[in-house]
Amino acid sequence: MRFDGVWFRYGRRADWTLREVDAAVEPGQTVVVLGRNGAGKSTLLQLAAGVLRPSRGVVRDRPPIVGWVPERFPADQPFTAGDYLHRMAELRGHDPGEADQWIERLLLTAHTGTRLSDLSKGTAQKVGLAQALIARPGLLILDEPWEGLDAVARTLVPEIVAEVTAAGGMVLLSDHRGETAHLPGAIHWQVAEGTLAPAEPPPPPAHDQVVIEITVPRAAVDETVVRLRAQGHAVSSVRDVSAPNRTEPVPGPTASITPGGANARKAADGSWERG
Amino acid sequence: MSPLIRMRLAGFLRGGRMLPPAIAVLVVLGVIYGGGASPAAVAYGYSAAALFPVLAWQTKLLLDTEPDVQRRLARVAVGARTEATAGLLAAAVLALVVCALAMGAPWLFNGIDTTKALGPGVALGVLAHLLAVPPAIAVGALASRAVTRGVRNGVAVLVTAAVLVVVLGLQGSVAPWLVPPVMATARALSGRELPGAPALALLTGWAALWCAAALLGYAQLRRSRS
Repeated sequence: MRFDGVWFRYGRRADWTLREVDAAVEPGQTVVVLGRNGAGKSTLLQLAAGVLRPSRGVVRDRPPIVGWVPERFPADQPFTAGDYLHRMAELRGHDPGEADQWIERLLLTAHTGTRLSDLSKGTAQKVGLAQALIARPGLLILDEPWEGLDAVARTLVPEIVAEVTAAGGMVLLSDHRGETAHLPGAIHWQVAEGTLAPAEPPPPPAHDQVVIEITVPRAAVDETVVRLRAQGHAVSSVRDVSAPNRTEPVPGPTASITPGGANARKAADGSWERG
Repeated sequence: MSPLIRMRLAGFLRGGRMLPPAIAVLVVLGVIYGGGASPAAVAYGYSAAALFPVLAWQTKLLLDTEPDVQRRLARVAVGARTEATAGLLAAAVLALVVCALAMGAPWLFNGIDTTKALGPGVALGVLAHLLAVPPAIAVGALASRAVTRGVRNGVAVLVTAAVLVVVLGLQGSVAPWLVPPVMATARALSGRELPGAPALALLTGWAALWCAAALLGYAQLRRSRS
């Protein structure tokens, strides 16, 4: 898919939101669009999805099946989540039952009978994600897909992105939370001052990190610390369970490893949230 | 296309937005048939003219029921042309149901004079309603949020169009062809003699041309506005 000299503005007298955008996305590629609020990320994604038409220029070679997850799911509709997703499946020419696999996978089963307007923001966002995936899109557009999602659902996003790209599809997404660290191989675009340019992936924000406590046999401590660091995790200290007050700092990046804590239990049952 | 038509009709009917136009239809029918029985052609001619603004309003309400983002999701799912057409067809289904109810209602309250031949009058009544439905849908579509982008503009378009249809449709109007032949049809059906085939062909062609121009404008505006 190619953006060929795409310009866009909302109205004839409005300022240009995007100017002279030339870019291409190859099959199997994931593109992360970065930029401050109001820079034009959502506009670019909507142009890619075909929701908006360029004021000048053209978007070429868009795959025939597009899945678009808007930044805010339109929950003000008189349908239950299940009814809505079945109808969206029908809209795509699929059997309504084909929505059920996404209802299960995105953990929406308990909410199928809930009216869209009564859903929490995160659950509504998952409904938005499900409707985009029913048709197995060749181009998946995700506008801030992690916004409002719980921890378990967040881990699904990279999985889904990987599945779409593995099948030869393309994924375009915007992210201001630094979650794109979970998308290995993604290329980055920066939207600023109405123009688009390649960008380096941003470092994950310091406030968006969590501490996981794990327990290992005493003999495996050194090996575990080395392995975790090799995987890019920060290890800050090791605590001896037989002497709970004795904590040994470990030189290097931060994180601590302690057994049986509250966070570990929450992580195990999937209810923990990133801080 | 039919799943999208069904989805939009379901959204409109479940959301309760159908109530105001439904009440307006009852008021219109009460005014038309409250004064006693009339010949079928006369009654149905006025019924079609009086229903025109209500059907246009109902179309606008139906098209505006869906949130803008959902309309865009539908566009991504089925394509821009099908999305726009499905909205018009959903409005047409609803308008035809309203017309059928409006034509059946007077029989419950002896609103039709049955002492005269009914066949031609009823047939002309059906035609009058069929000639009113497409222009009403076109006006409602042009007043919808997808085109006007705001409540104030939408209401302005709707009210202006409804007033112009009456004012420019009056006998002796300087530019009757600027509006659909809603009033002209009502006049033709209330004359001493029922209109002949040439007059009906003229009214039908006039309505078809007007609708074609209005819907072309709607398609163009939808193309340029999301």
